[in-house]
Amino acid sequence: MKYLAEYRDPKLARALVERIRRTATRRWTLMEVCGGQTHTIVKQGINDVLSEQVEMIHGPGCPVCVTPLEQIDRALYLATRSDVMFTSFGDMLRVPGSDCDLLRVKAQGGDVRAVYSPLDALELARTHPDKEVVFFAVGFETTAPANAMAVWRARELGVKNFSVLVSHVTVPPAMVAILEAPDSRVQGFLAAGHVCAVMGWTEYEPLAERYRVPIVITGFEPMDILEGIWMAVRQLEEGRHDVENQYVRAVRREGNQAAQDIMERVFHVVDRGWRGIGVIPSSGLGLRPEFAEYDAEEKFSLGFIRADEPAACRAGDVLRGRIKPFECPAFGTLCTPESPLGAPMVSSEGACAAYYNFARMGRDTQRGA
Amino acid sequence: MCLGIPGRIVEVRRDAGLPMGVVDFGGVRRDACLAYVADEVGVGDYVIVHVGFALSKVDEEEAHRTLEVLRQMGELEEPA
Repeated sequence: MKYLAEYRDPKLARALVERIRRTATRRWTLMEVCGGQTHTIVKQGINDVLSEQVEMIHGPGCPVCVTPLEQIDRALYLATRSDVMFTSFGDMLRVPGSDCDLLRVKAQGGDVRAVYSPLDALELARTHPDKEVVFFAVGFETTAPANAMAVWRARELGVKNFSVLVSHVTVPPAMVAILEAPDSRVQGFLAAGHVCAVMGWTEYEPLAERYRVPIVITGFEPMDILEGIWMAVRQLEEGRHDVENQYVRAVRREGNQAAQDIMERVFHVVDRGWRGIGVIPSSGLGLRPEFAEYDAEEKFSLGFIRADEPAACRAGDVLRGRIKPFECPAFGTLCTPESPLGAPMVSSEGACAAYYNFARMGRDTQRGA
Repeated sequence: MCLGIPGRIVEVRRDAGLPMGVVDFGGVRRDACLAYVADEVGVGDYVIVHVGFALSKVDEEEAHRTLEVLRQMGELEEPA
């Protein structure tokens, strides 16, 4: 496929690896923010090939992983109601709540449906006027414009039996939380290319300046990641801390203004809890009060829910980059993709699943333990 | 769910005022909302699609230039 195959060229990859090896005079510690990038790095063995030049710390950019347990439990409650058709991106269906997951609710007769686009959920509401259709609006700045449009269109088209259970989070406050942590080892970031396709990178400029860390907007293919690493390493070697854009084919400094406009009209900034991490101030998006009739929490009067994570799961430490997945005692034994304790083992963007499925080192370490 | 995929627009239309289109991903065709790129794309353009929404037009010139730089680097590194 065009714009994919050419960024997976092994010859160019070898050249970039060689370039990084010659540029690095010491070992640097970088964090890739996005779980999609984590999967590329672990699957392609980039962390192994460059183990003497960079340590890659895997960031919290997995929307499935950071959606709070309380919000999963609210979703599970809604999905069991006979008047509700609960819709969600497919990768949320297997995320463990306190007692079960959405697939289990579906198996027990709940009307749970995976949709490709939030507009598909809105269409289900239009074609099923006898049902309350709820969409699980999770994700980062990449899914926020889509979810905002579904709400915007619901109002425009006068669809009343549609609402969203919102759990949106944003990247820059999480980067600040990571950098502010006393034990932070991150010296540079690969920022998530598709988040920046929406938001641009002006938000990152004050972060690079204040914390003196290079931030490289990076794409998702192996060549993108390797070039992003090289650009970050070059900055560190030269003592620079700039925002640079590796993903020039898709990202502009100002981002996508039309998408930002709809997000701004539908959502406002709120404090948000991150699963395994806790509340990060001003790190989420919630529906503006004028869209309250589309807010599932209001519509179904969902109150406070207390939920506790399984004690054996160390997803919070994984999401903050404190430990690698295979350092968790439950990894591969109590916790597997078939029977996950924590969300990072479920998601196609979760670090634990990436190591379980792809990493040679992770498995060997586990077997030896 | 953050996995965006590049695809080529093969059809554009409006659904009750909303710019929509059909995008071809290496043979697989899907509907996508084009509202966020409507001013800058048409049939034949490549866009990055996320959860059914085109979020960015692929800049073909920039894509070409990046690959050229990388290829030159490949030539340089080859003897090493």
